[in-house]
Formats: sequence, C-alpha cells, structure tokens
Amino acid sequence: MLEHIKQWLDRRRGGVIGSHNPDNLPHPKAPGDQLLSESRLIVLDLETTGLNASKDEVIAIGAVAIQGGTIPLDDQFDLILRRPELDIRETVLIHGIGTEALTQGHETEDALLYLLEWMNGDPILAYHSAFDQKFLEKTLKAQLGYTQPHTWMDVADILPAFFPDAKTGGKGLDHWADYFGLEVSARHHAAADALATAELTLAALNKAGKDGVKTLHELNDKLKYHRRLQNMHRF
Amino acid sequence: MAAANQDSSRPQNTRAIMGFLREHAPFSSMEDPHLAHFAEHATLRFFADGDAVLSPDDGIVKRFYVVKQGRIRGERHNEKEDRLETTFEISQGECFPLAALIGERPTRTLHRASGDTFCLSIEQDAFITLFSESETFRDFCIRGVSSLLDQVNQRIQSSAMASMGSSNTLDTPLERYALRNPIVCSPDVPVRKAVARMHENNVGSIIVTDDNRHPTGIFTLRDLRSMIAKGEFPLDTPIQQVMTQNPCRLPAQADAFEAAMLMAEHHFAHLCVVDADDHLIGVVSERDLFSLQRVDLVNLARTIGTATHLRTLVSLRSDVSRLVDAMLAHGADSGQVVKIITTLNDVTVRRVLELNLKKNDPGIPFTWLTFGSEGRQEQTLLTDQDNGILFQTPEGMTEDEAREKLLPFARTINDELAECGFTLCKGNIMASNPKLCLSEREWDDWFIRFIEASTPQNLVYSSIFLDMRAVFGPMEPLHRLLENVLTRIRKNALFQKMLAGNALQRKPPLTMFRNFRYLNEGNKHSLDLKRQGLAPFVESVRVFALANGVEAANTLERMDALARNGVFDPKDANAWKEGYSLIQAIRMRAHQEMLDRGEELTNYIDPDDLNPLDRRILRESFRQAQRLQQKLEVTYQL
Repeated sequence: MLEHIKQWLDRRRGGVIGSHNPDNLPHPKAPGDQLLSESRLIVLDLETTGLNASKDEVIAIGAVAIQGGTIPLDDQFDLILRRPELDIRETVLIHGIGTEALTQGHETEDALLYLLEWMNGDPILAYHSAFDQKFLEKTLKAQLGYTQPHTWMDVADILPAFFPDAKTGGKGLDHWADYFGLEVSARHHAAADALATAELTLAALNKAGKDGVKTLHELNDKLKYHRRLQNMHRF
Repeated sequence: MAAANQDSSRPQNTRAIMGFLREHAPFSSMEDPHLAHFAEHATLRFFADGDAVLSPDDGIVKRFYVVKQGRIRGERHNEKEDRLETTFEISQGECFPLAALIGERPTRTLHRASGDTFCLSIEQDAFITLFSESETFRDFCIRGVSSLLDQVNQRIQSSAMASMGSSNTLDTPLERYALRNPIVCSPDVPVRKAVARMHENNVGSIIVTDDNRHPTGIFTLRDLRSMIAKGEFPLDTPIQQVMTQNPCRLPAQADAFEAAMLMAEHHFAHLCVVDADDHLIGVVSERDLFSLQRVDLVNLARTIGTATHLRTLVSLRSDVSRLVDAMLAHGADSGQVVKIITTLNDVTVRRVLELNLKKNDPGIPFTWLTFGSEGRQEQTLLTDQDNGILFQTPEGMTEDEAREKLLPFARTINDELAECGFTLCKGNIMASNPKLCLSEREWDDWFIRFIEASTPQNLVYSSIFLDMRAVFGPMEPLHRLLENVLTRIRKNALFQKMLAGNALQRKPPLTMFRNFRYLNEGNKHSLDLKRQGLAPFVESVRVFALANGVEAANTLERMDALARNGVFDPKDANAWKEGYSLIQAIRMRAHQEMLDRGEELTNYIDPDDLNPLDRRILRESFRQAQRLQQKLEVTYQL
C-alpha cells in the first residue's frame, strides 16, 4: 500500500500543490439500493490530539475497507499526519504517537486528498462515529475546503441493533471485542482499531444477511429505528 | 506501544497479521518477506457459528485459509447410520484445505464454523507464489497432505474389516466368541492342580467358581508368573488366596466392542461371560477379540517347521494366504504383513532344506542366501525365487568339486520350492545356477567385479544382489562378505552415482499435471504397482543405505536407520515410509482380490477400478516417491 501512496504523492508533487479542484474529488454515495453483499464500506478510526473538536487536531488516520462481507487487507489506509506544530503531550500516552513519528508523517493536505480518493465516496463506518465525523469533516473543510457530506454509520449502533441480547458488559469497542473474543493488535493505534471495528462489523453484516437486511438503505433504516428505540428508552 | 511505530515500512495491520502468523507453524519458521506477502494479500472473513465455510459443492478449491480465531470442523455424512459426524477440527493458527487445494479439486468434507470464527484467506495465485518461493511453506503443505494419509489408512482398514462380513466385527454378541466350556475350578483347589488343568486344556486362564457356578475369581498365567517371581506362596496354596477376586464380567448379550473397551480400560486380558443370573457361560480373551491371528501365525509357523513331507508344505501355502487375508482385514499394516509372509516363507524354505538334507546331504557346509524382495523381507503372495549358495570349501577339495556336489541338491530345492508356490526365477537367479553357487572368496571377487567394473547392464542386478540375507546356515560368512561390500561401495563415489542414476530410471507414474501416467498396453489403463510404485522408493533408499553403511536390507528399516543417521529428515522419512506402505497395502489387497477371483497374480492395476479414496492415496504416495527421487538427484547432482 505504501508504494501506492508514494507513487501517488510523487505524481501530486509533480503538479502544483494546493491547486486541486474540489469538483474532481469523488462524490459521496447515498445509501440506496446497493446490496450490502456487493458494497464497499469504509471503516475508519482517527487518533486526535484530544477530545474537543473545536480545538484538537487529527494526527493519524487508519482505515480498512469491507468488500462483499470480507476485509481485503490490500485495501487499507494507515497514515500518520505531519503536524509537528501540534501539542500532543496530553494524548501521547494513549495512542503512542510521539513527536518524532509525527514529523516523519505526511503532509496533511496530500494525505487528506489521498484519503478522499481512496474512500471513493463510499459510506464510512466508525465506532462512535460522531466523534470521527466531526474531526474529519472539520479537517477536510479547513485543509481542502471540502464540505460534501459522506454517509456515516455508527458501528456502536449497528452491533446492538443486530445483537440485542448480547451481554457485553458495556458499550465500548473493547466490550464488543471481548464479546467476540477478538484480539486487538495495538489498541489506540488508528489502523488496529479500525480493523477491530471492521471485524465486528463483519459479524454484524453476517447477521444482517440472515435477518433479511440486504441493502445499504435497509441497513440505514434499521439503524435509525434502533436509535429511535434507544432514545425512547432514555426518556 | 512504542514498538508499534518502529517498523514503519509496513502498515500496522500487516505487521499485526505477520505477528499472528509467526506464532503458528509453518509460518513461525518462514521468512519475513513471505509472511508479508501473505499478510498483504490476505482477506479477513467472518463465519458465524454453523455457517458453511467450504463445501464439496463449491467446486475446485481456490482459496487457502488460516483460522485466526474460532474453530472449523469437518462434517461428513455417515450413510450407514444416516447422521453427520465430525471428522476433524481445525483451530486457531491451523490451515485448510491442503489436500484439495494441492490436488486442485473440490473439498470432500463440508467445513463448518464451530463458534464465531474469523479466517484469513489468500487466493490461489498468492498461495502459488508462497508455495514456490518458500521451501518451508512448500514442505509443510506436502507433509500436511501426507499426514492426511494417516486418516485414509485407517479407513482402508475399516473397510477391509467390513468386507470380512459381520461375523468378525466388534458388534458381534459375546456369546459367539465365548460359548465354550470355560476351564473352572473350586476355590480350595491348590494352585499346582489348577495350573495343571490349564496346561491340559491349553488355556491361559482358569475361572474360580462357587457351588452355584458364580464366578468368584480368575487366575491367569500372568498371576502365576508374578506369584512365582515373588515367591510368597508355595504351589500348594489354595487358589482362592492368590486369584484375582470378583473378575470382570459381561452379559452374553454385550457385544465384542464393550468387552474390548472394558479390557482396554482395566488392562485385563480375560473376561467372564455370564447369564442373567450371573452363572458363568464362558470366558473371552483379548486374543479372541483381536484375533490378529497371532495364534494362527505361531501355529502355522510351527506346523510348517515340523512338516515331514513336501505334500504338507504345499497344502499349507493356502493357509498362509488365508492368514494374510485375515491380517489385512484386521488392520495390520502392510509392513507387518509382508514381514509375516517373509517369516512364513523363510520357515518353508528352511523346512524344504532340512527335509532334503535328511534325505541327501551333499556334505558341504553352506549358507542359503536370498536376494531381492525376499532379501528385503518384502515378499507378498506373488513371489519368485531369488536365491544363491555361499559355501565353505572343505579341506582337500577344490571350489569346483564342492560346487559339483551342491548343484544337484540346489536343483532339487529350487524345484520343490516351486511346488510350494515360489515361482522359478525367469532370470535364473537361483542357487542351482553355477554362477550363484560360490565360495566366500568367489562371492567377494564377484562383488569386486560388480562394484569396480560396473556397467549399466549389470546395475540392473543391483536391486537383487545388493539386498541380500541369509535364511539358512551360518550367518558369519555372509556378515563378513557384507562388510566388505559396504566398505567398497562407501569408498566408491562413482558406483554410488551410477546406482543413483539407475534408481532414477523408474519414475513414479504421474504426469506433470498430477494425473496418472499409464503404461501403453492396449486400451486398459494400467499401472505397475511394483515397478512404478514401489521400485522408486526401494531403489532410491538402497542408494542412500549403501552409501551410508546401513546393513539392513529391508526398505522400511533402511529408512529408519537413515533417519537416525541424520541422512533423512525424520518427517520426510515418515512421509516416505507411509507412501511406500500404502502402495504396498493397495498391492496386497489387489492380490487378495485376484486370488478370490481365481486369477493369476499380477502387479498391474487399473486406477479406474479403485475407489476415489484409493486413487487419491496412490497419487499422494507417488508424489512422495517423486520427492524422494528429487533428494537423490540433489545429493548426486544428477
């Protein structure tokens, strides 16, 4: 994968950096009648300098793709952004990215452009996706002026929607990973978390197929229904 | 944590998968670039509990799987009992389906997830890349297939068992085995008297019963042995003091399998069979159940060894055939069976010699030699004579004079052996041939010429004369001769190389596409199991054995010795032994079937007549022969 990125970056560097045309970037796809068994889904995880979207920044992006109910590992995204000016002392203990690694990262703009092309407008799944969505949208807007809304789905909703009786002992990624007996290779590494999230998503998609949920649209509806149910319980 | 960022040339998930692979064989001993190739081309798949992962209906297998987490079980439909049975389980870090993938065919077993399961898979092209680039991976795959042969072998035995008919299977009610008057005595009988009764009746156990014929104890030869060894009780002790109380018992309706399990569990060799009121009906012994027919073997050998007429010897040959049948059916492996055939053949040869020496002793001390398959102790029912005489020239006699006296005697032996079913050797490799009736010195010269001035033609005879054994007469002269021969061969690299080249003449009958390569004989597809199947093993192993000073002539023993010497990798040696033995087993079964049909025995079979399982065994075994020949090629740079 790195070879692809290097080649791509070299190509980009040949041209004038920063002169991209946002209209040429892929357009997000709406959740329609695409079959889940044939769709490509992006499962993404971000590492940030903190939890506050208005002041903290993205420092690493990890993502894998789900295609036809499997995770082909030749189709993944694993980048550390080059943001040496950021103060990361607060979170460095959690995700393990030190200043040195950050300075070796990639130019933010290049990386984000590559990410958009790689995602190809496909729906994005994440665990507690609101957090990743806020950070990614903010970053894309600030760096590239890109504002097209992707379809986002929250794996934290998908899992209880399909496994309502699962006794996970909690709502976190770790709880579900334990429930399915997953070993996460390096927790709080964006790519490893993304893979773990994607593995859980595979289990949910397998169940979805058996429950008769066939299309992206149906999946989205099921999630909306599930969220409404959750909100009703809350009041 | 910090380590996660060190090797930054590979994405985290690739590194993680490589890390997972490294914890499991064969990946643990594969090189990083190969592991990376795997990880980068892998696809992660999920299967919920009970999902079919791979099915015989999916067509030719194109994908290689490693269980990342969870378990896969193999499911086969047992037609007899109409139920599903689990044939194997594949757990974390294990690979599947090797045999189908390498054999380029659909899987024969439905693979089902057992619990929620994640698998890593690679497609055929990535598999082929790894297979061709990583020697470790390749060896693992091939050996993986060959250890499958273990399971296959067990199935041969069970099918042979089934073909014996219900009368001999383990679901037979015990009463059929045990309905005979058991030898009994009352509790107060002295041990000496009880043992005398056992001796009279030729049994190994006696049951002690009370007045109502309830078994209260059992006394066996093993008890007698330990009693005498300990010396605590004299022989006139009442038996109740030394017997085993409350002997194991089963009702007559119980089946042989229950009895076998009970014996295996408690290490008893005898069980009482009782009726509903606990009255003793009979005794069943381990030997009755597992009649690998050792009794018959011992008896048969004794009968042959004491026969007084050639007639008797001839008639006993059919008993040998029956014994082989029974042994195959009871799951004896082919190595054991050929050794037993050889043992019985040796006894026959010895008896023929003894009977003739009594009638007409030529008066020259000699050792009777056997060559070839008999020398290797690898005879089957189809066997011809390959023998010779090594004699000591008596004082005052020339070698030719001694030979004069021995040749007519040898002629008679050869003819009488032929009557016993040992076909006369078409190539005249027999003791009655003056060139093979030699003194020790003459034999030594003979071998010097054979080794030092070897021509491609006489190398053909290496398979005969370099596998030599003494059957009768003093062993020492042969031992001295063999030592000289082995030393000469070990020093003669050229001869070794020629032998190796000769061993490669016969290729296993497989095409490049792993199909059978048939002999061109008419329309029928035929394979020669001996020349095409066994010979590549036998001849390659012989070269290694002779070059490394291994004295044994038996191919399996040679392989064991070569594994011990470090010439063969032990795992390779096992795979080769298996392959060789399985071809031998198929060949012997074919012989038994030919006998049943009253046909003349040949080594030809048509693979189309075999069931698919046997065809697969043959193909895999031939592939092992190819591997062995490859080792020979590499070793001798041919």
